[in-house]
Amino acid sequence: MPTDILVLLPVLVPPTAAAVAVLLRSHRRVQAAWAFGAMLTSFVCSSLLLWTVWSNGRPIVYQLGNWPAPFGISLVGDLLSATMAVMCQLVLAGGFLYALGCRDQCAQYPAFYPLFLMLATGLTGAMLTGDLFNLFVFAELLVFSGAALTAVSDDKFGTEAAYKYFYISFVASIALLLASGSLYVSYGTLNLADLAQRIAADPSPPLVLPAMVLLIIFFMVKGAVMPFHFWQPDFHTAAPTPVHAVLSSVVVKLGIYGFLRMTTLLFVEQAETIRAVLVVVGAVGVWFGGLGAVGTYDAKRMLAYSTLGQLGFILVAIGWGTPLALAAAIVYAFNHSLLKAAMLMLAGSVASRAPVKTAAFAAITGLGKKLPLAGVLFLLGGMGLAGIPPLNGFVGKLMLFSSGVEAQAYLPLAAIGLAGIVTLVYVFRAFQRIWWTPLPEDVKPKPYGDRLIAPALLIALSLALGIWAEPLINLAQATVAWMATPEWYVRAVLGG
Amino acid sequence: MDVLLALTISAVFAIGVFQLLRRNLIRSVIGLSIISNAINLFLLAAGVYRGEVAAYANAVGQRSDALPQALILTAIVINMGGFAMVLSMLYVLSVRYKTSDSDEVKGLTH
Repeated sequence: MPTDILVLLPVLVPPTAAAVAVLLRSHRRVQAAWAFGAMLTSFVCSSLLLWTVWSNGRPIVYQLGNWPAPFGISLVGDLLSATMAVMCQLVLAGGFLYALGCRDQCAQYPAFYPLFLMLATGLTGAMLTGDLFNLFVFAELLVFSGAALTAVSDDKFGTEAAYKYFYISFVASIALLLASGSLYVSYGTLNLADLAQRIAADPSPPLVLPAMVLLIIFFMVKGAVMPFHFWQPDFHTAAPTPVHAVLSSVVVKLGIYGFLRMTTLLFVEQAETIRAVLVVVGAVGVWFGGLGAVGTYDAKRMLAYSTLGQLGFILVAIGWGTPLALAAAIVYAFNHSLLKAAMLMLAGSVASRAPVKTAAFAAITGLGKKLPLAGVLFLLGGMGLAGIPPLNGFVGKLMLFSSGVEAQAYLPLAAIGLAGIVTLVYVFRAFQRIWWTPLPEDVKPKPYGDRLIAPALLIALSLALGIWAEPLINLAQATVAWMATPEWYVRAVLGG
Repeated sequence: MDVLLALTISAVFAIGVFQLLRRNLIRSVIGLSIISNAINLFLLAAGVYRGEVAAYANAVGQRSDALPQALILTAIVINMGGFAMVLSMLYVLSVRYKTSDSDEVKGLTH
């Protein structure tokens, strides 16, 4: 089997399986088994891709329709995009597993699993594509399926949340279209490798700076970064648990991926400007997200604000831009995906026991007494988010802070270091409300709720990565070594 | 001709932004639609402003670029799907809240 097909498979398997799953709509169990099988297959494919890329030491490129590189669309699996794809597929498979054991009405709809697979396609495709316009198409696919999955939520405000998400993302997509138009006028190409080469050779066209700003806006909306975060907390309050567990953990990583690509491939010359913006936005976001999380009334909303804060840490690391800081950003992003997905699933499973399905603290106080296992997992996950040793969150934070010391960026370091304490405050406030407070006498929790197997697996994986962190750190450092030499990427895509 | 096209695009874009910022939800969706049309015009301008002959024509002269037109076709299809989706969600919202004023749609804010 030629290896270049490995890049295609994670993008090709989910939509094909989704089409078949729609045909299987009248057989619930068959459809669920088929769709979950497809999700696992595509996870295995992306893992194989990562393994092959890492052991071969060069990117795998698939030219769609066999058109040579700058003219056709290329799918590029280099170490960064393959790592991100594996991370996404892993959490998506976890989210799917949660959806299988979920008691939400909306998970029973015949279109739920196909839409989930399309979400997987959009996300993986956006990470693997090597073409700016193709990125727009995949991002739209992602937004469409994400909004549809939210609009059917059991929560009565699902449609309102989906409307906000869709509307803001649509405006962001318009920004991306405008950016690709501007770059096309300036350089006559949309292939990322070709663009990188041409921008490096001649950064003078007047539309390059607007394109850069529009791309920053697009990725900030996708990543729910501080000034463009408005859709995110509302979205997470109302969306079905398996959907927002995926959206808050890996879909926002599309923004992180975008910034990594922008600073190390597309705009290497102008990277200093982007980095300066990212440090400021990240440090503000850390505080904003942390304080927002402390002040909320709802466990899911708290975790949504927490995502804003945690993404701030990653953005600051990208902003420092030293090799160690970039490696820290990748490790932190990976850890945050696993932990945040697990935490949101735990909050969702507690909410599924509440008499009225909601995650508002007023309704779920004391419900944890019936769920000791969820309590242990939540405590572990919270320690991971706050960066306390046994979990992988500690490794990420340690790398991040040591990279800050190395970069001698003491002011942002102090700002985000202090904000780390806020994480501890909100996580343990939630833990104490749900698991330590006695259950009010008049509240009768439901005897059954969502299954805990998916968050348990994710937390177990975080624990394993916390104790044996070496492979992930090695992978991140190898990725950074590739990112430091964008010529490898360009040569692999364009040939020669 | 270039100036005329640029002025048209900017005028359409400005009208779109103005409508987008209205409080009425339906007007703001119409604004979104107008903006996306302005972007399509912009992409078209990216391709035609140097060419005089259609891309497929076998005539003498500088050929215009076909790629932006393919991009516009894709963007039109995606935008159509997007508006179908936005309008269907808007319908659900207007039935539930009995209003199209965006300030009244606040079930999620406390």
